Amino acid sequence: MATPAFTFTPSTFQKLHPAEFFRRFTTEGVRPDGRLLDAFRPTTVHHGVISTANSSAMVRIGGTTVVCGVKAEVAEPKLDAPDQGYLVPNVELSPMCSSKFRPGPPSEQAQAVSEAINRVLKESKVLDLKDLCIEEGKAVWVLYVDAVCVAYDGNIFDAALAAIMAALKNVRIRKPTYQEGTIKVSGGSTATDENSFTLNLARAPLSATFAIFDTTLTILADPNVTEESISDGQISITLDETGLLCGVTKIGAASCSQSVMRDCVQSAKKRTLQLRAIMSQQ
Amino acid sequence: MATDRKRVAGPESSVAPLVEYPIDHQPWTPFTEKRHDSHRQPEDLRPIYLKTGLISEANGSAYIELEKTKLTCGVYGPRPVKRAGQGFSDRGTLNCEIKFATFSCVKRRGTMRDAQEKELSQILSQGLTPAVRLELFPKSNVDIYITVLESDGWGSCVAAAFTVASVALAHAGIEMLDLVAGCSASYVPTSIPSTTSTSSTSEAPSEGAGSITPQIFMDADLEEEKFQQGSIVLAYMPSLNQTTHVLQTGKAEGAIISQSVEHCVEACNKIFAVMNHALLESIDQKKV
Repeated sequence: MATPAFTFTPSTFQKLHPAEFFRRFTTEGVRPDGRLLDAFRPTTVHHGVISTANSSAMVRIGGTTVVCGVKAEVAEPKLDAPDQGYLVPNVELSPMCSSKFRPGPPSEQAQAVSEAINRVLKESKVLDLKDLCIEEGKAVWVLYVDAVCVAYDGNIFDAALAAIMAALKNVRIRKPTYQEGTIKVSGGSTATDENSFTLNLARAPLSATFAIFDTTLTILADPNVTEESISDGQISITLDETGLLCGVTKIGAASCSQSVMRDCVQSAKKRTLQLRAIMSQQ
Repeated sequence: MATDRKRVAGPESSVAPLVEYPIDHQPWTPFTEKRHDSHRQPEDLRPIYLKTGLISEANGSAYIELEKTKLTCGVYGPRPVKRAGQGFSDRGTLNCEIKFATFSCVKRRGTMRDAQEKELSQILSQGLTPAVRLELFPKSNVDIYITVLESDGWGSCVAAAFTVASVALAHAGIEMLDLVAGCSASYVPTSIPSTTSTSSTSEAPSEGAGSITPQIFMDADLEEEKFQQGSIVLAYMPSLNQTTHVLQTGKAEGAIISQSVEHCVEACNKIFAVMNHALLESIDQKKV
Protein backbone atom coordinates (compact mmCIF):
# COMPACT_ATOMS: atom_id res chain seq x y z
CA MET A 1 0.00 0.00 0.00
CA ALA A 2 1.43 3.40 -0.97
CA THR A 3 2.16 5.80 1.91
CA PRO A 4 -0.03 8.90 1.72
CA ALA A 5 1.74 12.08 0.67
CA PHE A 6 1.41 15.06 3.00
CA THR A 7 0.59 18.36 1.42
CA PHE A 8 0.27 21.64 3.31
CA THR A 9 -1.01 25.05 2.45
CA PRO A 10 1.86 27.56 2.39
CA SER A 11 0.78 29.21 5.64
CA THR A 12 0.64 25.88 7.48
CA PHE A 13 4.02 24.89 6.09
CA GLN A 14 5.43 28.20 7.29
CA LYS A 15 4.23 27.53 10.81
CA LEU A 16 5.48 23.93 10.94
CA HIS A 17 8.85 24.31 9.23
CA PRO A 18 9.74 28.00 9.19
CA ALA A 19 13.38 27.50 8.25
CA GLU A 20 12.59 25.08 5.42
CA PHE A 21 9.79 27.33 4.14
CA PHE A 22 12.29 30.13 4.07
CA ARG A 23 14.95 28.09 2.30
CA ARG A 24 12.56 27.36 -0.56
CA PHE A 25 12.57 31.09 -1.32
CA THR A 26 16.20 31.92 -0.73
CA THR A 27 17.42 29.18 -3.10
CA GLU A 28 15.55 31.08 -5.83
CA GLY A 29 17.20 34.33 -4.73
CA VAL A 30 14.12 35.97 -3.21
CA ARG A 31 12.41 36.20 0.18
CA PRO A 32 8.80 35.50 1.14
CA ASP A 33 7.94 39.21 1.03
CA GLY A 34 9.19 39.43 -2.56
CA ARG A 35 12.46 41.27 -1.88
CA LEU A 36 15.82 40.28 -3.32
CA LEU A 37 18.35 39.06 -0.76
CA ASP A 38 20.28 42.34 -0.69
CA ALA A 39 17.31 44.72 -0.90
CA PHE A 40 16.41 47.12 1.89
CA ARG A 41 12.79 47.95 2.55
CA PRO A 42 11.35 51.32 1.47
CA THR A 43 12.51 53.95 3.96
CA THR A 44 11.00 57.34 4.77
CA VAL A 45 12.25 60.05 7.12
CA HIS A 46 10.13 62.94 8.43
CA HIS A 47 11.57 65.83 10.46
CA GLY A 48 9.93 68.02 13.06
CA VAL A 49 6.94 65.83 13.82
CA ILE A 50 6.68 66.64 17.54
CA SER A 51 6.39 70.32 18.43
CA THR A 52 6.89 69.83 22.19
CA ALA A 53 10.39 68.44 21.61
CA ASN A 54 13.50 70.51 20.84
CA SER A 55 13.85 68.36 17.75
CA SER A 56 12.16 65.24 16.44
CA ALA A 57 12.17 62.77 13.58
CA MET A 58 10.15 59.77 12.46
CA VAL A 59 11.78 56.99 10.48
CA ARG A 60 9.96 54.13 8.74
CA ILE A 61 11.89 51.15 7.41
CA GLY A 62 9.21 48.86 5.99
CA GLY A 63 6.89 48.06 8.88
CA THR A 64 9.25 49.32 11.60
CA THR A 65 8.42 52.86 12.73
CA VAL A 66 10.50 54.81 15.24
CA VAL A 67 9.73 58.32 16.53
CA CYS A 68 12.63 60.13 18.19
CA GLY A 69 12.31 63.26 20.31
CA VAL A 70 15.10 65.35 21.84
CA LYS A 71 14.49 67.29 25.06
CA ALA A 72 17.12 69.65 26.47
CA GLU A 73 17.30 70.24 30.20
CA VAL A 74 19.89 71.69 32.56
CA ALA A 75 21.89 69.77 35.14
CA GLU A 76 25.06 69.94 37.20
CA PRO A 77 28.05 68.46 35.40
CA LYS A 78 30.01 65.49 36.71
CA LEU A 79 32.86 66.41 39.07
CA ASP A 80 35.50 64.91 36.79
CA ALA A 81 34.11 66.58 33.67
CA PRO A 82 32.98 70.05 34.75
CA ASP A 83 32.77 71.48 31.26
CA GLN A 84 30.97 68.62 29.55
CA GLY A 85 27.26 68.13 29.03
CA TYR A 86 25.34 64.88 28.73
CA LEU A 87 23.99 63.03 25.71
CA VAL A 88 21.53 60.37 26.86
CA PRO A 89 20.09 58.16 24.11
CA ASN A 90 17.46 55.54 24.90
CA VAL A 91 15.34 53.23 22.81
CA GLU A 92 11.86 52.29 24.07
CA LEU A 93 10.45 48.97 22.94
CA SER A 94 6.97 49.05 24.42
CA PRO A 95 4.42 46.23 24.39
CA MET A 96 2.45 48.35 21.92
CA CYS A 97 4.86 47.81 19.06
CA SER A 98 4.97 44.02 19.27
CA SER A 99 3.73 41.14 21.41
CA LYS A 100 7.39 40.14 21.94
CA PHE A 101 7.77 42.86 24.56
CA ARG A 102 6.15 42.65 27.97
CA PRO A 103 5.08 45.66 30.02
CA GLY A 104 7.50 46.74 32.71
CA PRO A 105 11.17 47.71 32.73
CA PRO A 106 13.10 47.67 29.43
CA SER A 107 13.68 44.21 28.00
CA GLU A 108 17.16 42.87 27.27
CA GLN A 109 16.78 43.73 23.61
CA ALA A 110 15.87 47.33 24.41
CA GLN A 111 18.80 47.64 26.78
CA ALA A 112 21.15 46.12 24.20
CA VAL A 113 20.00 48.47 21.42
CA SER A 114 20.18 51.53 23.70
CA GLU A 115 23.68 50.61 24.82
CA ALA A 116 24.80 49.90 21.25
CA ILE A 117 23.60 53.31 20.09
CA ASN A 118 25.13 54.98 23.13
CA ARG A 119 28.43 53.35 22.27
CA VAL A 120 28.27 54.49 18.64
CA LEU A 121 27.53 58.09 19.68
CA LYS A 122 30.21 58.21 22.37
CA GLU A 123 33.03 56.32 20.66
CA SER A 124 32.51 58.07 17.32
CA LYS A 125 32.53 61.40 19.16
CA VAL A 126 29.49 62.52 17.24
CA LEU A 127 29.04 65.52 19.50
CA ASP A 128 31.68 67.37 21.48
CA LEU A 129 30.10 67.42 24.92
CA LYS A 130 31.98 70.65 25.70
CA ASP A 131 29.56 72.38 23.30
CA LEU A 132 26.85 71.68 25.86
CA CYS A 133 28.55 73.60 28.65
CA ILE A 134 26.71 76.63 30.05
CA GLU A 135 28.77 77.55 33.10
CA GLU A 136 31.78 75.41 33.91
CA GLY A 137 31.32 73.38 37.04
CA LYS A 138 27.84 74.74 37.63
CA ALA A 139 25.46 74.05 34.73
CA VAL A 140 25.47 72.06 31.51
CA TRP A 141 22.87 70.96 28.99
CA VAL A 142 21.51 67.42 29.07
CA LEU A 143 20.15 66.15 25.79
CA TYR A 144 17.66 63.36 26.37
CA VAL A 145 17.32 61.59 23.03
CA ASP A 146 14.43 59.15 23.32
CA ALA A 147 13.52 56.89 20.41
CA VAL A 148 10.10 55.30 20.82
CA CYS A 149 9.33 52.31 18.64
CA VAL A 150 5.76 52.69 17.45
CA ALA A 151 5.66 49.59 15.26
CA TYR A 152 8.15 46.72 15.23
CA ASP A 153 8.98 44.66 12.15
CA GLY A 154 12.64 43.85 12.64
CA ASN A 155 15.85 45.86 12.29
CA ILE A 156 15.24 48.23 15.17
CA PHE A 157 18.91 49.23 15.34
CA ASP A 158 19.00 50.82 11.88
CA ALA A 159 15.68 52.60 12.35
CA ALA A 160 16.50 53.90 15.84
CA LEU A 161 19.96 55.15 14.86
CA ALA A 162 18.59 56.88 11.74
CA ALA A 163 15.82 58.53 13.79
CA ILE A 164 18.29 59.66 16.45
CA MET A 165 20.72 61.12 13.90
CA ALA A 166 17.91 62.85 12.00
CA ALA A 167 16.66 64.41 15.24
CA LEU A 168 20.13 65.47 16.45
CA LYS A 169 20.84 67.20 13.15
CA ASN A 170 18.03 69.70 13.72
CA VAL A 171 18.26 70.34 17.46
CA ARG A 172 17.77 74.00 18.28
CA ILE A 173 18.42 75.13 21.86
CA ARG A 174 17.70 78.62 23.17
CA LYS A 175 20.85 80.46 24.23
CA PRO A 176 20.98 80.41 28.03
CA THR A 177 22.09 83.11 30.44
CA TYR A 178 23.49 82.10 33.80
CA GLN A 179 22.39 84.27 36.70
CA GLU A 180 23.09 83.43 40.36
CA GLY A 181 22.39 79.74 40.08
CA THR A 182 19.45 79.83 37.68
CA ILE A 183 19.48 79.33 33.97
CA LYS A 184 17.22 81.55 31.93
CA VAL A 185 16.31 81.36 28.28
CA SER A 186 14.27 83.77 26.23
CA GLY A 187 10.75 82.75 25.36
CA GLY A 188 8.17 83.83 22.86
CA SER A 189 8.86 84.55 19.18
CA THR A 190 10.36 81.93 16.95
CA ALA A 191 13.80 80.45 17.48
CA THR A 192 16.35 82.21 15.27
CA ASP A 193 20.11 82.09 14.97
CA GLU A 194 20.28 85.04 17.34
CA ASN A 195 18.44 83.55 20.30
CA SER A 196 19.25 79.88 19.77
CA PHE A 197 22.04 77.61 18.62
CA THR A 198 22.23 74.34 16.71
CA LEU A 199 24.50 71.39 17.42
CA ASN A 200 27.74 70.95 15.56
CA LEU A 201 27.83 67.24 14.78
CA ALA A 202 31.36 66.08 14.05
CA ARG A 203 30.18 62.84 12.46
CA ALA A 204 26.86 61.40 11.36
CA PRO A 205 26.95 57.61 11.66
CA LEU A 206 24.25 55.52 10.02
CA SER A 207 23.98 51.75 9.92
CA ALA A 208 22.96 48.78 7.81
CA THR A 209 22.02 45.46 9.39
CA PHE A 210 22.18 42.01 7.81
CA ALA A 211 20.91 38.63 9.00
CA ILE A 212 23.12 35.55 8.65
CA PHE A 213 21.77 32.11 7.86
CA ASP A 214 24.40 29.57 8.73
CA THR A 215 23.00 26.48 7.10
CA THR A 216 22.30 28.10 3.77
CA LEU A 217 25.23 30.55 3.93
CA THR A 218 22.95 33.39 2.88
CA ILE A 219 23.15 36.98 4.01
CA LEU A 220 19.89 38.94 4.01
CA ALA A 221 19.80 42.70 4.16
CA ASP A 222 17.36 44.44 6.51
CA PRO A 223 15.67 41.42 8.12
CA ASN A 224 12.03 41.73 9.08
CA VAL A 225 10.67 40.24 12.28
CA THR A 226 10.08 36.73 10.88
CA GLU A 227 13.54 36.61 9.30
CA GLU A 228 15.11 37.85 12.54
CA SER A 229 13.50 35.09 14.56
CA ILE A 230 14.85 32.28 12.33
CA SER A 231 18.24 33.81 11.59
CA ASP A 232 21.40 32.42 13.19
CA GLY A 233 23.11 35.74 13.64
CA GLN A 234 23.22 39.40 12.63
CA ILE A 235 25.85 41.86 11.43
CA SER A 236 25.44 45.62 11.82
CA ILE A 237 27.83 47.90 9.97
CA THR A 238 27.92 51.57 10.98
CA LEU A 239 29.55 54.12 8.69
CA ASP A 240 29.93 57.88 8.92
CA GLU A 241 29.37 60.42 6.17
CA THR A 242 32.90 60.06 4.77
CA GLY A 243 32.54 56.29 4.41
CA LEU A 244 34.73 55.47 7.41
CA LEU A 245 33.64 52.65 9.67
CA CYS A 246 32.20 53.70 13.03
CA GLY A 247 31.31 50.27 14.26
CA VAL A 248 30.89 46.65 13.29
CA THR A 249 28.78 44.40 15.49
CA LYS A 250 28.31 40.73 14.84
CA ILE A 251 26.00 38.86 17.16
CA GLY A 252 24.74 35.31 17.20
CA ALA A 253 26.26 31.90 16.76
CA ALA A 254 26.68 32.04 13.01
CA SER A 255 30.11 32.22 11.45
CA CYS A 256 30.93 34.18 8.35
CA SER A 257 34.02 34.48 6.22
CA GLN A 258 36.06 37.60 5.54
CA SER A 259 34.70 37.93 2.00
CA VAL A 260 31.17 37.94 3.39
CA MET A 261 32.19 40.70 5.81
CA ARG A 262 33.65 42.74 2.95
CA ASP A 263 30.49 42.28 0.90
CA CYS A 264 28.44 43.49 3.84
CA VAL A 265 30.60 46.59 4.23
CA GLN A 266 30.22 47.40 0.52
CA SER A 267 26.47 46.91 0.70
CA ALA A 268 26.35 49.05 3.85
CA LYS A 269 28.22 51.86 2.07
CA LYS A 270 25.61 51.94 -0.68
CA ARG A 271 22.77 51.75 1.80
CA THR A 272 24.01 54.56 4.04
CA LEU A 273 24.51 56.83 1.01
CA GLN A 274 20.92 56.12 0.02
CA LEU A 275 19.77 56.79 3.58
CA ARG A 276 21.61 60.13 3.74
CA ALA A 277 19.96 61.19 0.48
CA ILE A 278 16.54 60.33 1.93
CA MET A 279 17.31 62.22 5.15
CA SER A 280 18.42 65.39 3.40
CA GLN A 281 15.44 65.43 1.05
CA GLN A 282 13.05 66.60 3.77
CA MET B 1 13.83 59.83 41.21
CA ALA B 2 15.62 56.51 41.66
CA THR B 3 18.33 55.83 39.10
CA ASP B 4 16.94 53.57 36.42
CA ARG B 5 19.68 51.00 35.99
CA LYS B 6 18.11 49.51 32.90
CA ARG B 7 18.48 52.60 30.78
CA VAL B 8 21.44 54.64 29.62
CA ALA B 9 22.06 56.85 32.61
CA GLY B 10 21.89 60.60 32.53
CA PRO B 11 22.57 62.96 35.44
CA GLU B 12 20.79 62.25 38.73
CA SER B 13 18.46 65.19 38.28
CA SER B 14 17.88 67.85 35.69
CA VAL B 15 15.52 70.78 35.32
CA ALA B 16 14.10 72.71 32.45
CA PRO B 17 15.50 76.25 32.17
CA LEU B 18 13.37 79.22 33.26
CA VAL B 19 11.75 80.91 30.33
CA GLU B 20 11.85 84.69 30.39
CA TYR B 21 9.55 86.43 28.02
CA PRO B 22 10.40 89.86 26.56
CA ILE B 23 8.41 92.85 27.85
CA ASP B 24 6.41 93.23 24.68
CA HIS B 25 5.38 89.56 24.65
CA GLN B 26 1.58 89.25 24.64
CA PRO B 27 0.47 85.74 25.45
CA TRP B 28 -3.02 84.67 24.46
CA THR B 29 -5.75 85.20 27.08
CA PRO B 30 -9.42 84.27 26.80
CA PHE B 31 -10.37 87.86 27.58
CA THR B 32 -9.86 88.79 23.96
CA GLU B 33 -13.12 86.93 23.23
CA LYS B 34 -11.38 84.67 20.73
CA ARG B 35 -10.00 81.17 21.07
CA HIS B 36 -6.30 80.40 21.02
CA ASP B 37 -6.71 79.35 17.42
CA SER B 38 -8.62 82.38 16.20
CA HIS B 39 -10.27 80.41 13.40
CA ARG B 40 -12.14 78.24 15.89
CA GLN B 41 -15.51 78.99 17.44
CA PRO B 42 -16.21 77.88 21.03
CA GLU B 43 -18.16 74.87 19.76
CA ASP B 44 -15.62 73.82 17.12
CA LEU B 45 -13.52 70.70 17.50
CA ARG B 46 -10.09 70.39 16.01
CA PRO B 47 -10.03 68.41 12.75
CA ILE B 48 -9.42 64.74 13.42
CA TYR B 49 -7.10 62.54 11.40
CA LEU B 50 -7.68 58.87 12.11
CA LYS B 51 -5.94 55.95 10.46
CA THR B 52 -5.81 52.22 11.21
CA GLY B 53 -3.29 49.49 10.62
CA LEU B 54 0.03 51.20 11.27
CA ILE B 55 1.32 48.47 13.60
CA SER B 56 1.62 45.24 11.62
CA GLU B 57 2.41 43.04 14.62
CA ALA B 58 -0.72 44.06 16.51
CA ASN B 59 -4.13 42.46 16.06
CA GLY B 60 -5.54 45.95 15.64
CA SER B 61 -4.02 49.40 15.66
CA ALA B 62 -5.00 53.01 15.10
CA TYR B 63 -3.41 56.44 15.04
CA ILE B 64 -5.19 59.70 15.84
CA GLU B 65 -4.15 63.31 15.36
CA LEU B 66 -6.01 66.35 16.65
CA GLU B 67 -3.62 68.94 15.22
CA LYS B 68 -0.95 68.80 17.92
CA THR B 69 -2.30 65.89 19.96
CA LYS B 70 -0.95 62.61 18.56
CA LEU B 71 -1.70 59.15 19.91
CA THR B 72 -1.03 55.63 18.68
CA CYS B 73 -2.86 52.56 19.93
CA GLY B 74 -2.11 48.86 19.55
CA VAL B 75 -4.57 46.14 20.53
CA TYR B 76 -3.49 42.59 21.23
CA GLY B 77 -6.00 39.86 21.84
CA PRO B 78 -7.99 38.06 22.76
CA ARG B 79 -5.07 36.11 24.13
CA PRO B 80 -4.95 33.61 26.99
CA VAL B 81 -4.44 34.92 30.50
CA LYS B 82 -1.01 34.00 31.88
CA ARG B 83 -2.12 33.15 35.37
CA ALA B 84 -5.03 30.77 34.91
CA GLY B 85 -4.95 29.99 38.62
CA GLN B 86 -6.84 33.17 39.41
CA GLY B 87 -10.11 31.33 39.23
CA PHE B 88 -12.36 30.74 36.30
CA SER B 89 -14.18 33.74 34.99
CA ASP B 90 -16.77 33.44 32.28
CA ARG B 91 -15.95 36.94 31.13
CA GLY B 92 -12.74 38.08 29.49
CA THR B 93 -10.79 41.03 30.82
CA LEU B 94 -9.76 44.28 29.24
CA ASN B 95 -6.39 45.72 30.18
CA CYS B 96 -5.56 49.24 29.16
CA GLU B 97 -2.15 50.89 29.50
CA ILE B 98 -1.40 54.44 28.46
CA LYS B 99 2.05 55.98 28.40
CA PHE B 100 3.11 59.50 27.60
CA ALA B 101 6.34 59.61 25.63
CA THR B 102 9.05 61.56 27.46
CA PHE B 103 9.02 64.26 24.77
CA SER B 104 5.24 64.52 24.51
CA CYS B 105 4.74 67.39 26.97
CA VAL B 106 6.36 70.78 27.41
CA LYS B 107 8.11 69.54 30.54
CA ARG B 108 9.92 66.25 30.01
CA ARG B 109 8.09 63.30 31.50
CA GLY B 110 9.71 60.39 33.32
CA THR B 111 10.33 57.04 31.67
CA MET B 112 8.49 55.07 34.32
CA ARG B 113 4.72 55.12 34.54
CA ASP B 114 3.65 57.70 37.08
CA ALA B 115 0.43 57.99 39.06
CA GLN B 116 -1.32 60.14 36.46
CA GLU B 117 -0.76 57.53 33.76
CA LYS B 118 -1.93 54.74 36.04
CA GLU B 119 -5.10 56.67 36.82
CA LEU B 120 -5.71 57.38 33.15
CA SER B 121 -5.27 53.70 32.36
CA GLN B 122 -7.99 52.88 34.90
CA ILE B 123 -10.28 55.56 33.45
CA LEU B 124 -9.84 54.15 29.96
CA SER B 125 -10.54 50.58 31.07
CA GLN B 126 -13.70 51.72 32.82
CA GLY B 127 -14.86 53.69 29.83
CA LEU B 128 -14.22 50.96 27.26
CA THR B 129 -15.32 47.83 29.15
CA PRO B 130 -19.09 48.43 28.80
CA ALA B 131 -18.76 48.53 25.04
CA VAL B 132 -16.79 45.30 24.55
CA ARG B 133 -18.51 41.91 24.49
CA LEU B 134 -16.25 40.33 27.09
CA GLU B 135 -18.52 37.32 27.52
CA LEU B 136 -17.38 36.07 24.12
CA PHE B 137 -13.83 35.32 25.26
CA PRO B 138 -13.65 33.78 28.73
CA LYS B 139 -10.24 33.03 30.24
CA SER B 140 -8.79 35.54 27.78
CA ASN B 141 -7.49 39.03 27.93
CA VAL B 142 -7.47 41.94 25.53
CA ASP B 143 -4.52 44.32 25.93
CA ILE B 144 -4.80 47.90 24.76
CA TYR B 145 -1.56 49.87 24.68
CA ILE B 146 -1.63 53.59 23.96
CA THR B 147 1.37 55.85 23.51
CA VAL B 148 0.89 59.61 23.53
CA LEU B 149 3.48 61.02 21.15
CA GLU B 150 2.48 64.65 21.58
CA SER B 151 0.03 66.21 24.00
CA ASP B 152 -1.78 69.52 23.49
CA GLY B 153 -4.28 69.66 26.30
CA TRP B 154 -4.92 66.99 28.90
CA GLY B 155 -8.66 66.74 28.21
CA SER B 156 -8.14 66.26 24.51
CA CYS B 157 -5.60 63.50 25.24
CA VAL B 158 -8.08 61.53 27.32
CA ALA B 159 -10.87 62.01 24.79
CA ALA B 160 -8.60 61.03 21.90
CA ALA B 161 -7.49 57.95 23.87
CA PHE B 162 -11.08 56.70 24.05
CA THR B 163 -11.58 57.31 20.35
CA VAL B 164 -8.35 55.70 19.17
CA ALA B 165 -8.78 52.68 21.47
CA SER B 166 -12.29 51.98 20.13
CA VAL B 167 -11.14 52.20 16.55
CA ALA B 168 -8.19 49.91 17.25
CA LEU B 169 -10.49 47.40 18.99
CA ALA B 170 -12.81 47.41 15.99
CA HIS B 171 -9.83 47.03 13.64
CA ALA B 172 -8.75 43.99 15.68
CA GLY B 173 -12.13 42.42 15.01
CA ILE B 174 -13.12 42.30 18.67
CA GLU B 175 -16.89 42.30 18.94
CA MET B 176 -18.31 45.37 20.57
CA LEU B 177 -21.78 46.65 21.35
CA ASP B 178 -20.80 50.04 19.98
CA LEU B 179 -17.82 52.29 19.35
CA VAL B 180 -16.87 54.65 22.17
CA ALA B 181 -16.26 58.24 21.11
CA GLY B 182 -14.47 60.61 23.48
CA CYS B 183 -14.90 64.36 23.71
CA SER B 184 -13.65 67.06 26.06
CA ALA B 185 -14.68 70.58 26.97
CA SER B 186 -13.29 73.31 29.21
CA TYR B 187 -15.05 75.99 31.20
CA VAL B 188 -13.06 79.16 30.53
CA PRO B 189 -14.00 82.57 31.89
CA THR B 190 -13.93 85.07 29.07
CA SER B 191 -14.33 88.17 31.15
CA ILE B 192 -12.84 89.45 34.39
CA PRO B 193 -15.22 90.31 37.28
CA SER B 194 -15.75 94.04 37.97
CA THR B 195 -13.79 93.89 41.27
CA THR B 196 -10.55 93.64 39.32
CA SER B 197 -11.35 96.36 36.78
CA THR B 198 -8.04 98.04 37.58
CA SER B 199 -6.27 95.23 35.70
CA SER B 200 -4.65 96.64 32.59
CA THR B 201 -5.00 93.46 30.53
CA SER B 202 -8.78 93.58 30.56
CA GLU B 203 -10.26 94.61 27.25
CA ALA B 204 -13.69 93.00 27.44
CA PRO B 205 -16.51 94.66 29.39
CA SER B 206 -16.94 93.13 32.80
CA GLU B 207 -20.07 91.17 33.74
CA GLY B 208 -22.08 91.54 36.92
CA ALA B 209 -20.04 91.80 40.08
CA GLY B 210 -18.90 88.47 41.59
CA SER B 211 -20.31 85.71 39.38
CA ILE B 212 -18.67 84.96 36.06
CA THR B 213 -20.42 82.53 33.79
CA PRO B 214 -17.59 80.70 32.06
CA GLN B 215 -17.84 79.91 28.41
CA ILE B 216 -17.72 76.34 27.22
CA PHE B 217 -14.75 75.78 24.91
CA MET B 218 -15.02 72.44 23.14
CA ASP B 219 -11.78 70.47 22.73
CA ALA B 220 -9.57 73.01 24.49
CA ASP B 221 -5.85 73.01 23.80
CA LEU B 222 -3.01 73.51 26.29
CA GLU B 223 -3.05 77.34 26.26
CA GLU B 224 -6.81 77.45 26.80
CA GLU B 225 -6.65 74.88 29.61
CA LYS B 226 -4.31 77.15 31.58
CA PHE B 227 -7.24 79.51 32.17
CA GLN B 228 -9.93 76.94 32.76
CA GLN B 229 -12.07 76.82 35.89
CA GLY B 230 -13.08 73.24 35.24
CA SER B 231 -13.29 70.67 32.52
CA ILE B 232 -15.28 67.67 31.43
CA VAL B 233 -14.37 64.56 29.44
CA LEU B 234 -17.16 62.36 28.14
CA ALA B 235 -16.98 58.86 26.70
CA TYR B 236 -20.14 58.08 24.80
CA MET B 237 -21.59 55.25 22.72
CA PRO B 238 -23.36 57.04 19.86
CA SER B 239 -25.54 54.24 18.46
CA LEU B 240 -26.83 53.19 21.85
CA ASN B 241 -27.03 56.77 23.13
CA GLN B 242 -25.32 55.76 26.37
CA THR B 243 -22.50 57.38 28.27
CA THR B 244 -19.76 55.06 29.50
CA HIS B 245 -17.66 57.54 31.44
CA VAL B 246 -17.83 61.12 32.64
CA LEU B 247 -14.87 62.86 34.21
CA GLN B 248 -15.60 66.35 35.49
CA THR B 249 -13.01 68.40 37.39
CA GLY B 250 -12.91 71.92 38.76
CA LYS B 251 -15.92 74.01 39.68
CA ALA B 252 -18.97 74.76 37.58
CA GLU B 253 -22.66 75.30 38.09
CA GLY B 254 -25.06 72.44 37.36
CA ALA B 255 -26.53 74.27 34.37
CA ILE B 256 -23.13 74.67 32.75
CA ILE B 257 -22.31 71.00 33.27
CA SER B 258 -25.55 69.76 31.69
CA GLN B 259 -25.07 72.16 28.80
CA SER B 260 -21.52 70.94 28.23
CA VAL B 261 -22.67 67.31 28.37
CA GLU B 262 -25.16 68.08 25.58
CA HIS B 263 -22.44 69.75 23.52
CA CYS B 264 -20.13 66.78 24.09
CA VAL B 265 -22.81 64.32 23.00
CA GLU B 266 -23.33 66.30 19.79
CA ALA B 267 -19.58 66.37 19.21
CA CYS B 268 -19.30 62.63 19.86
CA ASN B 269 -21.85 62.01 17.11
CA LYS B 270 -19.64 63.94 14.70
CA ILE B 271 -16.56 62.03 15.88
CA PHE B 272 -18.49 58.77 15.37
CA ALA B 273 -18.81 59.60 11.67
CA VAL B 274 -15.03 60.09 11.43
CA MET B 275 -14.41 56.77 13.22
CA ASN B 276 -16.73 54.93 10.85
CA HIS B 277 -15.05 56.48 7.85
CA ALA B 278 -11.61 55.38 9.05
CA LEU B 279 -12.81 51.81 9.66
CA LEU B 280 -14.50 51.59 6.25
CA GLU B 281 -11.28 52.80 4.62
CA SER B 282 -9.34 50.04 6.38
CA ILE B 283 -11.75 47.42 5.06
CA ASP B 284 -11.33 48.78 1.54
CA GLN B 285 -7.57 48.55 1.95
CA LYS B 286 -7.81 44.92 3.04
CA LYS B 287 -9.87 44.05 -0.02
CA VAL B 288 -7.15 45.50 -2.23
